[in-house]
Amino acid sequence: MLVAAVVWLKPAPGWSFRGAGYAQTTSGQSLAIIVNQSNPVENLSLTELRRIFLGERSHWPNGRRITLVIMPPGEPEREAILREVCRMNEKDYNNHFLHGLFTGEVFASPKTLSTPVGVRKFVFNVPGAIGYVRTADVDDSVKVLRIDGLLPGDKDYKIPMQARLAK
Amino acid sequence: MSEKPSDAADRTRNEAVPFTRVLSNLVSRNSYTLLLLLVFSVEVGVGIFVIRDLRTANVEAQRMYVGSVLGLRRIGELQYQAQETRRSTLYALTTNDSNLQVEYADQSREADGRVTDGIREYLEQARIPREVEIGRRLQLDWSAYLRVRDEVLASILEGSTREAVQFDLTGGVPSFERVRQDLEEVKRLYDEQASQRLAIVAGSSHRSVARLIAVLGFTLLFASASIWAIQRSKMMSEVQLAKLQMDFVASVSHELRTPLAVIGSAADNIADGVVEGKEQLTRYGVVIRNQTRQITELVNEILLFASTKEREIRYYRRPVKVQQIVESVMENTSELARASGFVIECHVDPELPYVMADAAALSQCLQNLIVNAVKYSGESRWISVRAALDYAHGRSRKEIRISVQDRGIGIASSELPHVFEPFYRSPAVSASQIHGTGLGLPLAKNIAEAMGGTLSVESELGVGSVFTLHLPVTEKAQFEMAAAAPGLDPLEKS
Repeated sequence: MLVAAVVWLKPAPGWSFRGAGYAQTTSGQSLAIIVNQSNPVENLSLTELRRIFLGERSHWPNGRRITLVIMPPGEPEREAILREVCRMNEKDYNNHFLHGLFTGEVFASPKTLSTPVGVRKFVFNVPGAIGYVRTADVDDSVKVLRIDGLLPGDKDYKIPMQARLAK
Repeated sequence: MSEKPSDAADRTRNEAVPFTRVLSNLVSRNSYTLLLLLVFSVEVGVGIFVIRDLRTANVEAQRMYVGSVLGLRRIGELQYQAQETRRSTLYALTTNDSNLQVEYADQSREADGRVTDGIREYLEQARIPREVEIGRRLQLDWSAYLRVRDEVLASILEGSTREAVQFDLTGGVPSFERVRQDLEEVKRLYDEQASQRLAIVAGSSHRSVARLIAVLGFTLLFASASIWAIQRSKMMSEVQLAKLQMDFVASVSHELRTPLAVIGSAADNIADGVVEGKEQLTRYGVVIRNQTRQITELVNEILLFASTKEREIRYYRRPVKVQQIVESVMENTSELARASGFVIECHVDPELPYVMADAAALSQCLQNLIVNAVKYSGESRWISVRAALDYAHGRSRKEIRISVQDRGIGIASSELPHVFEPFYRSPAVSASQIHGTGLGLPLAKNIAEAMGGTLSVESELGVGSVFTLHLPVTEKAQFEMAAAAPGLDPLEKS
């Protein structure tokens, strides 16, 4: 019997909050979307987030330029974002940006940081930056955005690290 | 023996506390050494104070110096970290690698954290208003620079190099220049404070040195004056001693001349055959014997005094009964008294306790006092000898007092302090042709002190004198006497 079902990995019972940061003690991790602490935005819809990560939005509501921070190809965080947010594979994503920059539909190419710590520090230093790290890599220096009103660890949070399994 | 001159009426006591007496003797014998010791002690004491003063000043100077050096080092560190903050920010401009840019941003923020902490510490330790003012201004200027720096960093990381350079030129450069000037001013302030502190310490050190020189100079002068005074005093004493010795020689010569003249003329008469018959020869023999005995007694007295003075005599103190001593002396002097037509009244308390004394020496002492009384009784021909138990003057313990009183010529108050000095004879006594050596009373006094007692005198010119021998009553005497076999006479035992 083939039962196609989308199964979200259950948020682990061991979620704990360390200050404003998040830590997860089990294998069930999510990706946190982080912005600078000075950014007034608290919540984004998944659609808005997709537009941002595809370079289709250039400025935040406060007028700050949006700077997209991503990790290099092959990193699980990048794969998760492409899969869950951009819904593209690596090749399509690269093509999208090449085409967009050429046509002017995309305003700036993303900045690539090789480590989660680098991503976090970049976001800390740049007021208009937005990036993603595992929840375990979050600390007080950055702000975690709600996606469709949910924080990582909440039930039905839509950006898991691992793909949803189909049964 | 000493003489009793006749002058103004007065009375005095010459009783001394043993410890005071010992101290007094020590001082009089070692005055030179003691004075030097005193000067040395004063010098050492003052030296310790001055050294302590200098040491305190030095410690203070070191503290101040260390404080200034640390302050300068701290400001140097602040300057370096401020430069590092700006340098790291500008390094981020030199690369397009976002990872490297983040590293430079990180270094810049670490350095600026150290500067911020340093400025806060400086403000916390600021004491004078100028320091506070500069510290607050530095804090404000640094914050202003950091705001610009953040914008510059953000622009660099966003990839807007031109924007970053623009921010730095318009905001970063002038604000950092203000910070640099503030830090220079802090450094200048430290320099000024260090110079002022060093000047204060130098002044303090100079004052201490001047004080030290002044104190040492004063001490040197004081020591020189003391040595001069001591030498002068010593010279005066030697002159006085020489005069006393000359007087003594003259007195002894005079005392010896009379009996020698008698002996000489008697011998001449016998040799010339003037003496006839056995009876006359016997009379001459008696004269010669008496005169010889007189000379012998005189010589013995001189030798005895000399030996007591040099502490050659060792007394054997044992429990003795005062009544027996007094009776013995009375018996020895009865012939002298009878020959001179004296009446001696003797009152001795028969219940007197034993005293620790050398019986022979104590007898000599009493005999001297009685002979002295006979010599200076003038026309009264009356002497009283009394022995009784009483409380010591100003003390709770008991003592035996043996007093010899006469109604003779008395002693002037000005002469009283000198009657116990060896060889001393007052001019009035010498003028009255009363012979003596000036050793009787000093000898008696030496003996009294050797027995643990004292000898005092009370006198009134023209009324008479009372010499009192004070002998302490000790538990030891009673204990030893009780321990001895009953019936034995302590005098016989000794």
